Amino acid sequence: MTTATPAAAGTRRHRGGPGGARPPETEPEAMTFRRRLNRWDVKASPYLYIAPFFLLFLVFGLVPLGYTAYVSVHEWNLLSGKGEFVGLENYRDVLGDRYFWKALQNTISIFVLSSLPQVLLALGIAALLDANLRGKTWWRMGVLVPFVIAPVAAALIFGNLFGDRYGLINEGLQAVGLEPIRWHVDRLASHLAIATMVNWRWTGYNALIFLAAMQAIPRDVYEAAAIDGASKLRQFFSVTLPMLRPTVIFVVVTSTIGGLQIFAEPRMFDAGGLGGSDRQYQTITMYLWELGWRVRNLGTASAVAWLLFGLIVLVALVNLLLIRRLGRGGGGSR
Amino acid sequence: MDHHSPTPRRRTRLTAAGALVLAAALSACSASTGDEQDTGEEGTTTLTVATFNEFGYEGLFEEYEAANPGIQIKHKKSGTAPDHQDNLYTKLAAGSGLSDIEAVEVDWLAALVEQSDQFVDLSDPELEGRWLDWKVEAATTDDGKLIGYGTDIGPEAICYRADLFEKAGLPTDRDEVATLFPTWDEYFDVGRDFVAEVPDTAWFDSTGGIAQAMVNQVEYSFEDADNNVIAAENPEVKEIFETVNEQAAAGLSTKTPQWSEDWAKAFQNDGFATMPCPGWMLGVIEGNASGVDGWDVANVFPGGGGNWGGSYLTVPTQSAHPEEAKALAAWLTAPEQQLKAFESKGTFPSQVEALDDPALTGATEEFFNDAPVGQILADRAEAVELAPHKGPKWGDIHTAWQQAIQRVDQGQESIDEAWQSFLADLDRIS
Amino acid sequence: MSGTVTGPSLAVTEASRPGGIQRRRRSAAGGVNRRPGFLVYGLLLAVILGSAFPLYWSFLIGSYDATVVNKDLPPIWPGGHFFENAARVFDAVPFWVALGNSVFVSTVVACSVTFFSTLAGYAFAKLRFRGRTGAMVFIVATMAVPTQLGVIPLFIVMSRLGLTDSLWPVILPALVNAFGVFFMRQYLVDAIPDELIEAARVDGCSMIRTFWHVALPAARPAAAILWLFTFMATWTDFFWPLIVLPADKPTVQLALQQLQSGYYVDYSLVLAGVTLASLPLLALFVVAGRHLVSGIMQGAVKG
Repeated sequence: MTTATPAAAGTRRHRGGPGGARPPETEPEAMTFRRRLNRWDVKASPYLYIAPFFLLFLVFGLVPLGYTAYVSVHEWNLLSGKGEFVGLENYRDVLGDRYFWKALQNTISIFVLSSLPQVLLALGIAALLDANLRGKTWWRMGVLVPFVIAPVAAALIFGNLFGDRYGLINEGLQAVGLEPIRWHVDRLASHLAIATMVNWRWTGYNALIFLAAMQAIPRDVYEAAAIDGASKLRQFFSVTLPMLRPTVIFVVVTSTIGGLQIFAEPRMFDAGGLGGSDRQYQTITMYLWELGWRVRNLGTASAVAWLLFGLIVLVALVNLLLIRRLGRGGGGSR
Repeated sequence: MDHHSPTPRRRTRLTAAGALVLAAALSACSASTGDEQDTGEEGTTTLTVATFNEFGYEGLFEEYEAANPGIQIKHKKSGTAPDHQDNLYTKLAAGSGLSDIEAVEVDWLAALVEQSDQFVDLSDPELEGRWLDWKVEAATTDDGKLIGYGTDIGPEAICYRADLFEKAGLPTDRDEVATLFPTWDEYFDVGRDFVAEVPDTAWFDSTGGIAQAMVNQVEYSFEDADNNVIAAENPEVKEIFETVNEQAAAGLSTKTPQWSEDWAKAFQNDGFATMPCPGWMLGVIEGNASGVDGWDVANVFPGGGGNWGGSYLTVPTQSAHPEEAKALAAWLTAPEQQLKAFESKGTFPSQVEALDDPALTGATEEFFNDAPVGQILADRAEAVELAPHKGPKWGDIHTAWQQAIQRVDQGQESIDEAWQSFLADLDRIS
Repeated sequence: MSGTVTGPSLAVTEASRPGGIQRRRRSAAGGVNRRPGFLVYGLLLAVILGSAFPLYWSFLIGSYDATVVNKDLPPIWPGGHFFENAARVFDAVPFWVALGNSVFVSTVVACSVTFFSTLAGYAFAKLRFRGRTGAMVFIVATMAVPTQLGVIPLFIVMSRLGLTDSLWPVILPALVNAFGVFFMRQYLVDAIPDELIEAARVDGCSMIRTFWHVALPAARPAAAILWLFTFMATWTDFFWPLIVLPADKPTVQLALQQLQSGYYVDYSLVLAGVTLASLPLLALFVVAGRHLVSGIMQGAVKG
């Protein structure tokens, strides 16, 4: 179906249908031409509108994807180039490498520690920002400041905070009589530190995405709820959240994708860039990078890329199902 | 609110954006045709030179251009070595985009020597003997092809804290200190004496750093002459591993990894008393230890001599002007020019003639108690006996080795366990 | 809107009068438009402090000389050297050129992404056509492939197209992206009432006029956010520009990285540069923030 059918509830002055309300018999030729043009407009426009994306993708997106797939089934050294066709051997090699599995565990651990609190915090912060604040713009934009800090500065700051021996946090802990935490040695501690860095950078970002969607919710729905005696908190759960469903889906999917691809923060957490002396915090993308640019085996690196793709699709689907199930209480399906 | 009212503003903004894109298109089109061609006016050749860190070439390019009117030089500077390396590797893989001259660090030279067909043979009988033997060897393939001209080197001396030495009852004058530890055994013995006297301070800055210094004095450490991996069986490798870890266990090491935040802070907290220092490390020490008095340099290195770092200029075969590039590289790495770079940025020359030059031998460093660093490092450079053989897997094996040492430092594994997991890593690499 | 707060009883009476809702919005009585209490401000203050302290810290270190970074405890008040260090930044690297390039690239990309994402997002959200769901899923799935390896083939493509001596390689691949399309689609699905579109169509608007007059205004808050996010992402992009841009056309991030050259890094210089590089973005925040307006579509459906 390509035409928008009028809703039953709408009260319209004209009869429904595209083009006009005059009966077609009075001006046959002009009407048919205009009607044909109109029909063509309706049929073709969607494809025209999405065409820019697909055209650009064809040139700049498909080539890298195809290249990565092609490389992954060959023996391929970064510098000496293409070797022979080896089928799925690269995939087997990767799956047999214990560092792949370690990186996988690290990635999932950091992902859970970062994405979950991030989405919840972002929702909460957005709700706070949605209020009728004085100096709205400053508050709203203030949460986005982490995003403008160049990674080198962020690495320096958090390095100073999370130093094992001379870091500010450990000095604070010792001042109150607690044991210092070995942020760069203990696996979970390192994941917490990295998750903190990630959350610091991205929570405000997601909060503003939620805020934009909240702005589209008509205020009278809130007023009606307020009349019914709903508290602010109740309004949030019964009005805001259900109407935010598409955006919640968006944020969950994109932070899943981003969270499983975390690269910059763990990489700058130590000077070596390999995720610690025992790869305590090496994520899959770091592992991919190591295989490609240090070990220089592009074939296995490409295999890792596609394995990661499979993982992301899996986790994203699981998250989507969870959202659907959680949201089944209120609101329709989107 | 009437839904028409935002439209005029949106419309003007989008038209403005459209006009901007159009203007951009026009200006970009005009910019990319014409002046970026190599031979613009009457046969001028443009050469691009890509370096990282600080090579000290800034004034030299103008000099060369003045002396060679047909040549224009463009300098592509990368801030850090890893970024430059990633860029180099990516463009070698892509088959295009490299500069006419690419700087290469000795640590990743081996991988490129393996790809010698992607680099122009720079051998030139006229330049025979220009550089120290061990410097040239590293850039030469088995069949005698030379892929890089040496720029600087990193001969190591021992930098020490004279004030902490005094506390421990050790001599403080640099000539006396130079007699204290000509061998590693003596270095460690003095170290144990030191930590007995000054318990809160370690002897050296990093276990991994000492390990690296020691393994760079072994000719065939991780790989043999045919590039077979021998790290597991080589007794020297295991011995160094055990020695440094045992010394660290005895309190001689700060147990921090080099270049980490904790390592940098250790300079300010009396963390350690000595460290191997090549020329380029002097600036690092001065920066990290600013405000601290008592640093000095002794003309000694356990085991005689050692080298850490150093670079080369290569000419990739992708270059459109290999002959001119080769000539420029030869000029830049001549003793006179390298000395000028040294004066500008402290890059220590690898050219034999430069080592005797008074400009070098007279150089002193105020921060290090006016030590005659030029002379000291020149002596240390000549004391280097061999170039350690580094095959294509040397870097990866060394990284795994260093990680094992760090795990011992951090208490995650015992020395034996760490050695075993290093062997497991070896299997993975080879 | 005045700041007076009235009780719920007054709210009820107001709402029951015809036109009462408009009246309420104007007089800010009770319910939705009541000013929030201290708790809200307190929590937000904590969030803002946590977000902004690194910026202050960058400025702080950038206002001293290099040695302050290694001290155990950072100073609290700025030293006097910021402008000195800033001047050195401009001397050390071609900062103005880099700023200009970054502004140009980021603006073009942000405008393009916002426009084309709104267009495509509108199509996916409100128009029905064959293959709609499949195409949307495909677009989202493309985000799941890591992009690190793509630099090699992308560079080859740019090289073959002869573009490697210009700013085009950082602009062209970025002109529209999956994130933007997905984002606008999710937003527009609920933000444009279907009735509005039908009204426009029935009034005789062509598809494109419907888009222009209905979808674009409705998209304003999300479009503002998308524009800002895209601008920032392009501004902070590092690796691809490093690979593909010629030496005389750097962006701000490349110029900043050049400040780190040398074995001993002068962090006062670097952080002064970091602070300078973030100023244009902060200015943009204020501009974009004004577009986060609520109630865009209210009143559009009524009457």
